[in-house]
Amino acid sequence: MNRSTSHPVLGTLFLLLALAVLAACDRGDRAAGTAGDSEPAFLQVGEFAINRISPDRTEVRDGAGRTLVLIPREAPMPADCAPSQVIRVPVQRVAAYGYFDIAVLRALGVLEQTLVGVTVPAKRWHIPEIKRGMEAGRIAFLGDAASIDYERLKQSEPELVLTWDPSVIPLLDDLHIPAVVTTTPTAMCLNARMRFVQFLAPFFQKEREADAYFARIDAALRDIRARTAGLAHQPRVMWGDIYEKRVMVEPGNAWVGELVGLAQSDYQFKDVFGTSCIEITVERFLYSGQDADIFFTYRTREMGATSKEALAKLNPLIKDIAPLKRGKVYAPLPHYTQGADRLDEILTEISAILHPEAYPDYQLHYFVELPDTEPVPKERS
Amino acid sequence: MHRSLLVLWRSLGSINLTVGLCLLLTADLVWGYFSLDRRMPLFTPLNDMGLIPWMQTYGSHNLAATGWFFLLLALLTLLAVNTFVCTTNRVVQLLAARSDGRGTGHRRRLALKLAPHIMHYGLIVILAGYLASYLCTQVLTGRTLVPGSHLSLPGTSGQVTLLAFEPEHYRGTRLAFWRNEVITARARLLLDDGTSKQEAMLSCTRPVRFQGYSLHLRDFAPKSLDGMKMKTRIDLYVRKDPGVALYLAGIVLFTLGLALYLYEWIMYREATTE
Repeated sequence: MNRSTSHPVLGTLFLLLALAVLAACDRGDRAAGTAGDSEPAFLQVGEFAINRISPDRTEVRDGAGRTLVLIPREAPMPADCAPSQVIRVPVQRVAAYGYFDIAVLRALGVLEQTLVGVTVPAKRWHIPEIKRGMEAGRIAFLGDAASIDYERLKQSEPELVLTWDPSVIPLLDDLHIPAVVTTTPTAMCLNARMRFVQFLAPFFQKEREADAYFARIDAALRDIRARTAGLAHQPRVMWGDIYEKRVMVEPGNAWVGELVGLAQSDYQFKDVFGTSCIEITVERFLYSGQDADIFFTYRTREMGATSKEALAKLNPLIKDIAPLKRGKVYAPLPHYTQGADRLDEILTEISAILHPEAYPDYQLHYFVELPDTEPVPKERS
Repeated sequence: MHRSLLVLWRSLGSINLTVGLCLLLTADLVWGYFSLDRRMPLFTPLNDMGLIPWMQTYGSHNLAATGWFFLLLALLTLLAVNTFVCTTNRVVQLLAARSDGRGTGHRRRLALKLAPHIMHYGLIVILAGYLASYLCTQVLTGRTLVPGSHLSLPGTSGQVTLLAFEPEHYRGTRLAFWRNEVITARARLLLDDGTSKQEAMLSCTRPVRFQGYSLHLRDFAPKSLDGMKMKTRIDLYVRKDPGVALYLAGIVLFTLGLALYLYEWIMYREATTE
């Protein structure tokens, strides 16, 4: 073997392979140019993706890994995909399952004009547009998510259903209603949570509003980073709860886990990876609770989270975890889960809870700190 | 020109190149191990959208996390070429030497000497099969079935109906946290080709082949008898994969080479030692 001649040859081969790879990437970049607008040709949002093939065709990948094709309302039906995969945009009538999806519609400014069906009854809504819409009969209660009234759904004539439940897709296919699965097997990271609005934007042709929303959240995050970067104290945080048979927490890959780390704090479940509200063992929960400073419970006041004492009574197992004995416990207020259109405020509030020293005089709007004991009811005079 | 080609051929068959590639592959896979951590959503679409579209979208937009994969493709290509050239050189030598001897025993010895090279060719066919899979597979994504619902296979008269979801749950006591969880997901399907009907059992590790397609269980619900009550459903990948035949052929070739190699080892080398 003549090494002096083989090395240049091999070097040339490596160079050719590198060029081939670059050529493949270059074709992708050129595709960006053909989309014909300022939006990127390809955008990945966690497990969701948008691929702008041409001005008249955008392919999206939803949370269940299904490919859907967005076409203008007047465009002919494409021949290369099933009708149930085709969505005409901008969508004018939409039914939605999840609070988060509806909050995103609100962030895009299309909620009042497009929402025609929800799976939560009127009394549980805190969004004024939905309360008004349900009162006026513009928005229908379609039944509980586990038992949708398909007759009512059909009467509402949605052009699109946003759902977390893939099991409804065969029935929606029969009704010729396209559906997008808006949840994923793994929890949304902070970036995906912030950018999800950009995933839904092409359905309503509201890309500019989505970019403005993202910029607002991004600015809030930068502010959080700036305020907390130099702080010496790093509180230990846990987020979850123990129920009758199961222990559920937010994993480290979820947006709350990432936010806690970003805000100069230590998330106790950062090594846990998986779906949002993931199940762990009681032992792990109690172990992490030994030295935690702050505990965010899933439970609201209505679910019994009125004080540390009440939580301990609900679940004697957790009575000895550090946040209940000497730390702080926070419960979400009822409108928190419906407030994702104000994600910047929510992120700031969580940061203010972790580092009150960086946010003097901050008033909580989405969470409440639980007192040690049950508040004494005021005596009637 | 002829001399340059000869130099190129020799260089590609060099054992130094083999060793170098193996070291580079190891280093690249270590890089890949760290790059994959919590970035599976980047690579999952590779299973259904094909290599070229993936390279143009997910791959090229996340080079910091996917660079190792591009390098892996390049290294595996070089390894396949290196293996082919090296093996072909040796096979040519063996066949040339065959003219020096005659007789059944001699031919048998020659066949046994070819064993490692048959394995090498098998490996190349397997790699080509995987490449064909990632380049040419037609995948229908996100097909969900609930009991009683069906899906039609494009381009055929075939129809698949979910008759029942019949999972096996963990009933033991040793793993308390696993109790009542699904340990084997099984779906009973009715396959209708327009003229006849037959039942088939689909599970995570046992795809069902029908009308040129393979049906793979991707996800299912419910996953447990406890907890949140989810409606019964199965999510399928429906694939038409031309690479399967190729890498099955590669596996057969590799197995044949391995069998010959072991035979030679047992019958001749051990005998010589004794």
